[in-house]
Amino acid sequence: MSRYRYFPLISAPPERKLRIVEVLGGHGLRKRLFDLGFHKGDEIILDARGLLRGPILVRSVSSDTVVAIGRGIAQKIMVEIISDEE
Amino acid sequence: MTRNKYPDIIFIGQPNCGKSTLFNAIAGLKAETSNFPGTTVKHTHSRVNILGHILNIIDLPGLYSLAPGDEAEKVALSHLFYEKPDLIINVVDASSLGRNLELTLELIEMELPLVVALNMMDLAEKKGITIDVARLEKELGVPVVPTVAPHGRGLKELLERAVETLFHQVRPQPLTWSKDVEEAVNQLEKAIPLDFPVVANRRFTAIKMIEMGSQYFYQVLAEINLPLKKRLDEVKKYLEETHNVPAYEVVAAERHHLALKIFEKCAQVARSTKRPLLHRVDDLIMHPYLGYIVLILVFVGFFFIVFSIGSPLEEIILGPFERLRVLLFQRLGHGFWVYLIDGLLQGIGGGLGIVLPYFVPLLFMMALLEDIGYLARVGFLMDIFMHHLGLHGKSISPFILGFGCNVPAIVSTRILESRRDKIITTLLIPFIPCSARTTIILALVAFYLGPFWALGFYVFHLILIALLGRLLSVFFKEPSPGLILEIPDLKIPSLKNIARKTFFQLRSFINFAWPILIAGSIFLGILQSVGADGVINKILSPLVVKGLGLPQELGVTLIFGFLRKELSLIMMIQALGIDYQQLLTVITPAQIVIFTLFVSLFIPCVSTVAMIWKEVGRRIALISVALNLSVAIILSLAARIIFELIGGI
Ligand SMILES: Nc1nc2c(ncn2[C@@H]2O[C@H](COP(=O)(O)OP(=O)(O)O)[C@@H](O)[C@H]2O)c(=O)[nH]1
Repeated sequence: MSRYRYFPLISAPPERKLRIVEVLGGHGLRKRLFDLGFHKGDEIILDARGLLRGPILVRSVSSDTVVAIGRGIAQKIMVEIISDEE
Repeated sequence: MTRNKYPDIIFIGQPNCGKSTLFNAIAGLKAETSNFPGTTVKHTHSRVNILGHILNIIDLPGLYSLAPGDEAEKVALSHLFYEKPDLIINVVDASSLGRNLELTLELIEMELPLVVALNMMDLAEKKGITIDVARLEKELGVPVVPTVAPHGRGLKELLERAVETLFHQVRPQPLTWSKDVEEAVNQLEKAIPLDFPVVANRRFTAIKMIEMGSQYFYQVLAEINLPLKKRLDEVKKYLEETHNVPAYEVVAAERHHLALKIFEKCAQVARSTKRPLLHRVDDLIMHPYLGYIVLILVFVGFFFIVFSIGSPLEEIILGPFERLRVLLFQRLGHGFWVYLIDGLLQGIGGGLGIVLPYFVPLLFMMALLEDIGYLARVGFLMDIFMHHLGLHGKSISPFILGFGCNVPAIVSTRILESRRDKIITTLLIPFIPCSARTTIILALVAFYLGPFWALGFYVFHLILIALLGRLLSVFFKEPSPGLILEIPDLKIPSLKNIARKTFFQLRSFINFAWPILIAGSIFLGILQSVGADGVINKILSPLVVKGLGLPQELGVTLIFGFLRKELSLIMMIQALGIDYQQLLTVITPAQIVIFTLFVSLFIPCVSTVAMIWKEVGRRIALISVALNLSVAIILSLAARIIFELIGGI
């Protein structure tokens, strides 16, 4: 799979390791995500629960914290899939 | 050391690291605890004797980093920067060490004496995280003491190391970042003139300048020191160009990577394959369908418990007050002073007998749900519904509080990040039937028309809130910023913590709402004693008689409703001059509905208005009054018309 294929978190597959490539959003949004331990380059996993309509659940691999993120915001977080060999 | 003769020790940590628990274990005092990030708005302080030394210990609100986001963080930071503590105790959640270390690294940059309390060691172990404390201490260059706050484990050692570090004033060395960023900071640091007011130290000041997002700061800086401002611009531009992100993010990323590196060096994570029981419980609670069934059951149970404790208590407490009042008038007649004393009695009795019996159990249940970690999950589950109101999931807990008393509910809107959300939530809260209004609904609607009517009243209020929320969000250009909410692990609740939290929430009622309620009652006593009720009835008669079709005598009860909602009920009976049981002989069921509707909606009570004023300003307080008045008038008129069309109930 190509390294450069990235897409918004909202359409990422669940239970796969993802890497945050970019956060498209203002200072406030980026800061709140930073604060909770979600930085560019971080590995996260999209939880399979809560995928219907409400907010999504994201788990940070390094800090093992879970955060609920509204769909609008999840649209602004660009991720890529980390392939299994890595 | 500082101006007062006792050294200041500040407790700093990220939200939910167990800071309040640790602080209270040392201070033996009450402080706020919460699972919604950022609610420890007030700081608590205490003077304690530690190992023979008298010290001031101060608990600051939880902070993620030293760059302020919300109001609470600003408060905390200004304290930290300007009051220069003699020692910082940084409380760290060992179970999410990587993230917590970012704040630790930033504190180290301040080069103030620092001790790290590595709290939640038991949770970390449960999660399979093993931390090499000696190694961590070496990497950070500051004392690190493992603790388990609720059991007091590690407390003694923490205090010993704290006192040692304090009296030797051991200052940590900042850890170095990547070469190019370090270089950039260094250059800026050199450009800072010697007489420039620095925060903590020159390097830290330089870093903060880079991180600062405020346009205002740059303007001021350009005026006081143009060369420095130019230098700063160059440095920022350099960082931005080489890293391709805003300069402040370059700095934050440095700390983040350093924190992760240290975490990897000092901690080992053994991922167990077995899912713990609480995780499986969590699967049910957060389930896209079953989760809502659990939610409904939880809240039915919630209100069932609150009411089954509240209503017998109400009777027990109000009884003696009523007898005392009767006695008062029998013995002392109807003079001015008697009315005054009566007002006082009613004010005290109303708080004690009507609000507290429901409010205390409600707060307790809320604190319980919060401590378990369920409230955050409610925020998650309800987010989708709150979107229909133009809000997001975090507003749910102020709403629930509102069912007890609107006043603390308004205080709790501080957890919302955006002013827009705060204003909308604040304007909606007065439409939530608080315990005083519930009393009216129960006494009038449930008693005379049946429980289903009362339930209908509740549902109606909720629908109304949803509609108003939609309407209000039209007036705000920007949409709600959306939900970002940490979901903490579920855990076994701690009774001590819940009691502390309940007490803390109760204080804003006791210190703020209750005195206003008593003052309002006394004022009413005075009005009655001078016979002002007749005049008021006349003035209000166009609205009351012509508009709402109610007996003229009820006019004055509306004023009472502004001062104290539940008084409307007592006054209504009194104004009509009959016994409660015979109400239906003078007034029709339709009139009861109209009256209750109007009284419950028409204006937030005076304590609520005062609190809105205090929290979000006068303009919003006035808007709130106007909004409630117009909604109440429109709806009760509509109700009257409907009843007339269908010929009563
Ligand atoms: N297992 C465990 N729980 C803790 C520890 N310290 C605090 N807690 C619990 O964590 C929750 C949050 O603690 P609190 O002091 O309110 O956190 P704060 O937001 O940092 O002030 C409470 O329910 C505490 O009982 C600890 O060391 N171990």
